[in-house]
Amino acid sequence: MRTVQSGASLHDATVVLDDRVILRAVNVVVGPGLTLVRGPNGSGKTTLLRALAGLVPLARGDRRLAGDVLYIGHRPMLLRGLSARENLEFFARFRGGDTRAIDGALRAWGVGEDMDRPVERLSAGERRRASLARVEAERVQVLLLDEPFADLDEAGAVRLRQTIARARDDGRSVVVATHAHPELDDLAKAWIALDDGDATAA
Amino acid sequence: MIALYRIALVAARELRAERRQPDGVVAAVTFIAVLVLLESLVVGPQIARDADVASALFWLALAFATILATMRSFDRELEDDALEGLVALPGGRDALFGGKVLALAMVLVLVATVGGILSLVLLDLPVALPVHLIVVVLLGVLALPPIVIVDVVLALRLRARAALVPILALPVLVPQLVAATRGTSAALSGDAVGALSWAGLLFAFSVVYTVIGLTIVPAAIE
Repeated sequence: MRTVQSGASLHDATVVLDDRVILRAVNVVVGPGLTLVRGPNGSGKTTLLRALAGLVPLARGDRRLAGDVLYIGHRPMLLRGLSARENLEFFARFRGGDTRAIDGALRAWGVGEDMDRPVERLSAGERRRASLARVEAERVQVLLLDEPFADLDEAGAVRLRQTIARARDDGRSVVVATHAHPELDDLAKAWIALDDGDATAA
Repeated sequence: MIALYRIALVAARELRAERRQPDGVVAAVTFIAVLVLLESLVVGPQIARDADVASALFWLALAFATILATMRSFDRELEDDALEGLVALPGGRDALFGGKVLALAMVLVLVATVGGILSLVLLDLPVALPVHLIVVVLLGVLALPPIVIVDVVLALRLRARAALVPILALPVLVPQLVAATRGTSAALSGDAVGALSWAGLLFAFSVVYTVIGLTIVPAAIE
């Protein structure tokens, strides 16, 4: 894997899953700032983010990456049996970072009272908030957020927009895949339109 | 060094989750206890106390207990896509196998200890060489998780994995089960040389299965 100046990129990348072409010769370069991935259901938004994160094999083409990636998918990706705090501590330690920012991040996301409860006892919205607190706790340069507004109430959505704006202002590369939330267009620097596996950059 | 630290982190995370939701351990211990009880009822106490028979049943039970505990561990990872959260971390794919092996080996040592004591007490088995027995059981337990984890990972996205994993795992486990059974039987009946020879073979199996797992799992998890 070669290193590039921008956050992450795919070059001539084709992804085939279950004999179906999900992404077709896609060329995408994600740099600092917010990049929005738009497209209807089934157009390949999730697969594009997973390809950038290295979670799906490329049938053709290659992926280039500068620095670590934080990918948060449709589901919160927290291990049941552990608390929100323990999950976030695990992620931070695994990256070799410190854990001091975790309590503050969870409080800021409104999970402060419940940070020591096992995640299976939290509501879907609380688990989503705990998951998104990773953006502030792990300080990774490239953020890949797949439908991050799912399960969030209005206060959570406001908090997420603020978090995205702050990450953008810090010079981090933020990629958000969503088919809604037009208000994010004001924050975005680039757009990727997906249609049946074909990507068009704008 | 960082790789070992990450493996330790994954193992600690696994053990913590298992302590909070001890379904795997409880199912495994219950399984062994029921099997030992049924064995003495079905074949009668005289045959059940035979060193070969008791050893074979103990290791078969432990093999199935390993499959149960490993599948429970990965089921937990699949809920809320926790596995994907780990695999998406830098080095996560490589640490997954080592961490799971380490944690499951520790869980199985506990299960084997409880199950072994239950077998010895319920069947009133004499132990001629207790230290040899401990060595054989420890090495036998270490050889179990690597190959079962490989099979569970290979069947991870299949709906019928509950049926497929034992079918995939048991043929590969046969040499290990034979060695563990013979070694345990030798330790129970006072054959020191035999017990140590089988223990050496079990150690070789652990190394081979671990190398296979380290090679296959990071690629297969994709």
